[in-house]
Amino acid sequence: MADLMVAVRRAADVLLRGCGGRTVLLRVPAPGVAGNSAEQLGLAVPRFQDVELGPVVFRRTRVNAAEGKAVQREVLVSASAVEVLTGSLGFSSASVLFATAFGVLVDEALLTIVSATEMEAGGVVCGYRLLLREAAALEV
Amino acid sequence: MQNAKDTFYVTLQGRLEAVNPARTVVVRGVTRPGVLVEENELASAYEPVDAFRLRWTGLKVDAQGSLPLVTMECEIRYATDGSSGNGGMDRGRLLAAMDGELVSAVGPAPQSVVKMNYSGVSAGTAPVAMDTNVFWGDVVFGAATVEGERLERVATVTVWSYQEAGEL
Repeated sequence: MADLMVAVRRAADVLLRGCGGRTVLLRVPAPGVAGNSAEQLGLAVPRFQDVELGPVVFRRTRVNAAEGKAVQREVLVSASAVEVLTGSLGFSSASVLFATAFGVLVDEALLTIVSATEMEAGGVVCGYRLLLREAAALEV
Repeated sequence: MQNAKDTFYVTLQGRLEAVNPARTVVVRGVTRPGVLVEENELASAYEPVDAFRLRWTGLKVDAQGSLPLVTMECEIRYATDGSSGNGGMDRGRLLAAMDGELVSAVGPAPQSVVKMNYSGVSAGTAPVAMDTNVFWGDVVFGAATVEGERLERVATVTVWSYQEAGEL
C-alpha cells in the first residue's frame, strides 16, 4: 500500500508539472505562542506567513462570469506538497490547514478558498482541488 | 463588559482544565485547554470538535442601580464525532462526558469571581483585580442535534457583572 501511495503521488506530481505546474503562495496564520493568554483573549493579533505551494495547476472554472458575480478559479495541488506543509506548520490535517488559511496568493492577488476537496486515485489521496473566489474587480 | 467576558472565560478555562486536563484543542499548532472564545480567534471555516467554543450573544444593561448591571448570554457550543477507533459509535458517551464536565465547571459554588482587567496582558503586565465581581447562573442545555455523524449541543450560561466607572 505504501508503494502504491508513493507511485500514485509521484504520478500526480509529474502530471501537475507536465500540465504547466507552477507555484502559488498559501497565506496562513503563523503558529500561536504557547501559554500566551493575550492571543486567547484576542489582545494579540497573529502574524501571517506566505508558504510556497507547488506543483499546482491554476485554472478558471467558469469561462463567462455574470456581471457583479465573483469569478471562481481552481487550483489543483499535489498531495505530497500539502503533506509536507501540514506537518511542518503543525496542523493536524490538510482540511484544517485549508480551513485556517486566509487564502491563496496568485501573482500578488489574494483569492479566498471556497472549498477544498481530495482527489483520489486507486484509493490514495494524490492531490487536492481548491476552489477559489476572487473579487469581480480583479477580473482581467 | 469586555473585562467580565475575559474573566468568565479564564475562570471557565481553569475549571474545565481541572475537571479534565486531557481535554485540549490545537489552535494554530499550539495545544491549549479545550475551550476557546470564537470572537477571539481567526474567522475560520474550521470548527474544532471535542472542545468548548464560547460565543457571546445576548446583552442587556440595567441602569437603575448605582452601577449599571450588565447581563450577558454566553453560548457554549460543543460537538463530537466520537472516536475513530470505535467507529464513532461512542459519540453519545463523549457528548455526555462533555455535558458532565460543563456541569462540574459551571455549577459548583462559588458561581462568582473577582472581575479582572486583562488589557495589559499583551504588554506583559499581570491582570489587575477590579472592585466588583462577575457571577453566573447554572447551565441551560439545549437539545442535542445530529449533523451526519456529528453530535452537537449548545448550552447557555447567563453572566452578570457591574459596569464600573470608567470601564469600557
